Amino acid sequence: MDSRVTLLKEFYGGLPADRVKVETYEHGFPFLDQLLMSGVALEYGEIAAAGLLHKFKLSGVTEEAMDALLLSHIGKTRNVCLYFGEKVNSLFCYNLDNNHKTNNTELIPEMQCTVTLLRDILIGLGCEPLVIASGRGYHLWCRLEAPVDNQQLYEFMLRTMARAFLGLHQQGYDHNKIKANFYPDPRAHNTVSLRLFGSDHAKNKVFSRILSRDGLLDEDASWNAFEHHLREKTISIVAFHDAYASLLASI
Amino acid sequence: MKTIAVDLDDTLSNFTETIQRTQFPNPEQYGLSSEVFGRYIAMLRGGVSDAGDLLSTEYSYFCYKIHSECYKLATARPDGVEFMQWLRANGWRIVICTHRDLRRSNEGTRQWLRDNGIPFDFLFLALNKLDFCKAWEIQYLVDDHLFNLLHGDRYDIDIFYPIMSKHATFEKRAGRGFHDFGEIKQWIPG
Repeated sequence: MDSRVTLLKEFYGGLPADRVKVETYEHGFPFLDQLLMSGVALEYGEIAAAGLLHKFKLSGVTEEAMDALLLSHIGKTRNVCLYFGEKVNSLFCYNLDNNHKTNNTELIPEMQCTVTLLRDILIGLGCEPLVIASGRGYHLWCRLEAPVDNQQLYEFMLRTMARAFLGLHQQGYDHNKIKANFYPDPRAHNTVSLRLFGSDHAKNKVFSRILSRDGLLDEDASWNAFEHHLREKTISIVAFHDAYASLLASI
Repeated sequence: MKTIAVDLDDTLSNFTETIQRTQFPNPEQYGLSSEVFGRYIAMLRGGVSDAGDLLSTEYSYFCYKIHSECYKLATARPDGVEFMQWLRANGWRIVICTHRDLRRSNEGTRQWLRDNGIPFDFLFLALNKLDFCKAWEIQYLVDDHLFNLLHGDRYDIDIFYPIMSKHATFEKRAGRGFHDFGEIKQWIPG
């Protein structure tokens, strides 16, 4: 197996592997038949408003089928997006998007400011995130050594985000220009999936580059940073609970 | 295989009528004063979309919640249900093709279809249904949307639409209108 697939499986190992959203330009009933082999079911499909980008939400995915999908993910022919567990998760993610209807892939000052503030807050709490560029903003992933209750994760994210938005206001910016979502979201299980690191964005064809302190890394450096984060930055449960207690006491 | 795409809202269901006639409560979770709630309801019923430049707003969230309610409350057209069952009995592959955000309404939509005895093979979200039908080589589309009647001729897709008042003054270039779903049977293979 490709070492990058192994890395992806390890990093995202805490997420359910029996369901997936696949983004691809492939389509048509013969393709769908192929996708749905070995008991896989299509929950729904989607075609983009313009162009032929398709999304397929699949359930009943076998390990063999998932391996094949991950291989096509790093081969950049399909994108694999995973859902979160219903009750507990060992990964959580902030999804920051540019909240404008037009030119929303533009990197606005509010986004740069928010991602810097949020990263610093999380580092200060001992929960360093892996920051990955996405189509309209950034995903900030935090990886825990063991699963934590979804409600607790959500409250942690809500509070840290509130603190970041406070900083944004103090610098004279409007938080409404940023759309912030947190996953897992206990209110909407099995609804939103997030694209995994290691492929090109389906629309703009830009690799999911990692944002370091010094800026966006290139593809090779991003893979190295991804592995480094997996090995060195996984958050202990003690550290997470300390951070959560500290947040509760202050916000 | 014979394949047909069929729309849901205002085709198989009375979605818009449901929005217009339902007395919606203003639950606390919306966080809206009665004045704002009333204004938003009026905007929604008038087909007003968010005028601002932001994607996610208080009003967009409100619309999502009311639409979700209406997906559940809307009733199915009996002649539509009968037609869908006829399609199934006659070996058609049935694709439900909708503008609904299936990311959030997939399960509820499936439940509604099951509850109303409407058979289908696949659910698809397509904002441009003509593009979708063309890409998937689907020859037949049942849909009320004016866009399809205006542009359908360029796609060489057979479009059938339930005749509604909004179609009356519209310059149609494609499609056949029907009063009863059963009329479609004469225009497609058995």
